[in-house]
Amino acid sequence: MGLQPINPYKRYIMVTVKINGKEITVEDNTLILDAARDAGYEIPTFCYQADLMGIGSCRMCLVEIEGQKKLQPSCVTPVLHGISILTETPTVMSARASMLEFLLANHAMDCPVCDKGGECELQDMVYKYGPHKGRHAEPKFKFHEKDYALSPVIIKNSNRCVQCMKCVRVCREVVGRNVLGALGRGDHQEPTSFFRSFLDCDADGNCIEVCPVGCFMRLPYRYKTRPWDLKGADTICPYCATGCRMVIEHRDGEVIRARAQLGVGMNSETLCARGRFGYEIINSEARLTTPLVRRQRHGTLEPATWEEAFRIIKERMPSLGGNTVGGIAGARLATEELYLFQKLMREVFKTPNVDSGSRWDAAAVEGFIAATDMAEGGVSVFDCMEADTVFVIGSQVSEENPVTEYIIRRISAGRRMNVIIAGPRAMKLDSSANLLLRHYPAAEAALLSAVILDINAAKLAASADLTAAKDAKLDGHLKAAGLTIDDVRALATKLRNSESIAIMAGTEFLRYPHGIESLNLLKELLRSLGKKVRVMPLLDRSNQRGAWEMGVHPAFGPGYVKAPAPGLGISGMLDAAADNSMDALYIAGADPAALYPDEAHVKEALSKVRFLVVQDIFLTETARLADVVLPGASFAEKDGMLTNQEGRAQIIRKLLPPPGKAKVDLDIIRALGEMYDRSFGPKNAALVLDEIRRAQPMYADVSLAFNNKRNVDNKLDNKAALVKGTKAALTIRKFEQAASGQDAQYPFMLATGNHLFHSGRLTNYSKTLNDLMKGMTVEISEEDALASGLAAGERVLVSGAGFSVTLMLTVKKGTKRGVAFIAENFDAAPVNRFFRKGKGAPRVKITKA
Amino acid sequence: MLENVKEEIQATLKKYPVKKSAVMDLLRIAQREAGGHLTREAMDEIAVLLEMQPVEVNAAAKFYTMYSVARPVGRHRIWVCRNISCSLMGSDHIMKHLEQALGVKKGETTSDKKFTLDVAECLGSCGTAPMMQIDDEFYENLDAKKIDGILKGFK
Repeated sequence: MGLQPINPYKRYIMVTVKINGKEITVEDNTLILDAARDAGYEIPTFCYQADLMGIGSCRMCLVEIEGQKKLQPSCVTPVLHGISILTETPTVMSARASMLEFLLANHAMDCPVCDKGGECELQDMVYKYGPHKGRHAEPKFKFHEKDYALSPVIIKNSNRCVQCMKCVRVCREVVGRNVLGALGRGDHQEPTSFFRSFLDCDADGNCIEVCPVGCFMRLPYRYKTRPWDLKGADTICPYCATGCRMVIEHRDGEVIRARAQLGVGMNSETLCARGRFGYEIINSEARLTTPLVRRQRHGTLEPATWEEAFRIIKERMPSLGGNTVGGIAGARLATEELYLFQKLMREVFKTPNVDSGSRWDAAAVEGFIAATDMAEGGVSVFDCMEADTVFVIGSQVSEENPVTEYIIRRISAGRRMNVIIAGPRAMKLDSSANLLLRHYPAAEAALLSAVILDINAAKLAASADLTAAKDAKLDGHLKAAGLTIDDVRALATKLRNSESIAIMAGTEFLRYPHGIESLNLLKELLRSLGKKVRVMPLLDRSNQRGAWEMGVHPAFGPGYVKAPAPGLGISGMLDAAADNSMDALYIAGADPAALYPDEAHVKEALSKVRFLVVQDIFLTETARLADVVLPGASFAEKDGMLTNQEGRAQIIRKLLPPPGKAKVDLDIIRALGEMYDRSFGPKNAALVLDEIRRAQPMYADVSLAFNNKRNVDNKLDNKAALVKGTKAALTIRKFEQAASGQDAQYPFMLATGNHLFHSGRLTNYSKTLNDLMKGMTVEISEEDALASGLAAGERVLVSGAGFSVTLMLTVKKGTKRGVAFIAENFDAAPVNRFFRKGKGAPRVKITKA
Repeated sequence: MLENVKEEIQATLKKYPVKKSAVMDLLRIAQREAGGHLTREAMDEIAVLLEMQPVEVNAAAKFYTMYSVARPVGRHRIWVCRNISCSLMGSDHIMKHLEQALGVKKGETTSDKKFTLDVAECLGSCGTAPMMQIDDEFYENLDAKKIDGILKGFK
């Protein structure tokens, strides 16, 4: 037994204790509370949470230890060999009742108007343990009269606070923002912001989720419902590849809340702003509710019936399309849909041209899959965090995968380990790192090559000639990366001194694929030195890994089985289209027109495709160019499976029917297939999953049973859900570093990625998320702002070759000089206009607007 | 506002291996400089100096009775102990007498800005209860007459 998975590097000392007369053996230093809960005894708590450091403040968990006169708080008292603990004696029960009586002495008692009423831990506990009559006749102490807003998503009533301080602790220990404080003391202690001012924070609402009472509440959800009037579905957040479990709940067809559950999923009770407040896309007015068709060439898109839309498709999309037909599926579709999509393209349209996502080059994807060992099966993030060193490179993990970041922060704070971060931009996780390497955008390759040289040089006793050659090469890499030899040596030393290393590699490797080869080389080199190396990809689309594993890729089919004749990836299809040789393109759930790095090229290419079918839930940039638009379903309207970046397969559940005439994507894909071949199938998601399991060893015995299982002791890592390894022949192509398209008169290199509040363009349809932003921004380093006389908050003109946009300037301490960042999520600032196909990171200049 | 005491702050920072640890000293300096209480601006400045969040500085200040957060005080601060020993020995009467003598309620400042009257939890002088603290001095074994004499001493 023990609360964490068994770690082979750790020595376990077991002790025997008695709990209510039952003798149990637990690991030394286990908390009495955990031991008792594991033994099956219930102990009530307010302030205890497995993820947070214990403070023992609420006194609900008091237990009796035989031989000690005073009751002890079990959440901060470790077991000792031989002690006898009693958790249900009259003394303990009366202590619990007294604690509750004290909490109620100043409690607002406004349950009838409190949003928490019906799911309040204080209510439940008083009902169960508490005094049912109060004896306090004194006037109640009040912090304030009216509730006050702390942020666009938080409304607060401190008079209900039970001083558990979970809000303050989750903000500091898990989220890392530390913007809440415990002001005052005793029952006058109020958890709030600096002078109750409006917070400028991550708006993730984790303080709301951990609050046991109605002190921190969701502002958008306020007074909308009682919890028992909600209908919910236990599902997966669709906004990044972390794969957080959450429950979305609706009342009368309108989704009004998303929440995480303690002890369920790898995220337990945490979510980020996107997950917790991004549900508004489901009921958005802008949803597509009917098929649209363009009846005349260059005409407008007009509403049509499904029959008409399908008839047009059948007329204009040749069934034996071969090379002139292609399909692109978005990495947000469910695994079953992606499987059927590639089957449709390959078996019905007989085309090898199939790809997923809108941004990455297919060959880069293949190399990345190989370099990150994805074909070898799932890698748990919790296993990665057991390593001596975690090396994060090529990812803005704080913004792209916030909950993965919470896990890294929380676990690394509690154990002795290295956290190394390499990237151009400063980010929140930096405070958890003990080594930071600030390199230029697209310079991952140079950094990795430099560290490989340094490790190799130490390995081989080289001759003077070799050393000179090595030094010259090293200098080149250092210059390209903008690093010093000390940076690289520090990294090399940390890697050399670690027995186990986890590399977390992000999407920058896909954006600038010349780094993939070095990533793979470093992995192999470290393994050759006898180190245990795990690689985990950090991805930004919820089912990106599932899409690849289902073979939505031109070079391989489901399970990474090499395709007999490789087809064209997205870049190839766009090139062919621009060349007037694409007859038809079917794009489902992807928006290349908005996201492919080179807007002019992608729009020209898409407009030259003779027949373009787009299936999506909104009228995206791509859908606007289509001949036929098919309305699909959001994640809340379908059953299916998503595979997260770790390779953890998890299921999403249907909460609502799709709006209007919209249909579930699986049904659309199947109906399309049936139009050409009546036997096309399987016919529903469950049967598709059966077929996937039969055909693919990776998914054959993946367990999906974890869903809906609450585990009180925080065993969050369900390894049975990880996909298995397979034999795959993947090649890592050599990519040359592309030169930037602009010259030195543009002093900034442009970096891009997802904003903390957004995922692609999808979340733009959530009003709450949009309201969190004061405007679209460009971010530069403090030093650059000072040098160019610009101040944060100013309007600035960002111009590159051929495109310029006015944005608000934000300034970040610790970002590499000469780096500017614009998020790729904003319709009004299409960052892909700065990019040119075949060129490296674009350069821009920034001037006062 | 901490500009005038830059050198004192630098000297203070040198005393601590971790910057954050200087928070109480800096709060004391800031309170002195502002004439007895802590302003929001001062705590903001301290947060920047110590690389902390302003709310952490605020939380530290709010914890201790000797800091007065965003509340101007008189030249002298009176804390009347109200914990068990003092309560049993009549701290309620002491407080009532002080309120009458000064013409203010607990938590208020006299109109001549001379005294601010507060309560405190145990000040650690139970053997000499009831007691109070004025500025840095303890006044023990109090009764009404003794208090009148003490107050007269503050001219």
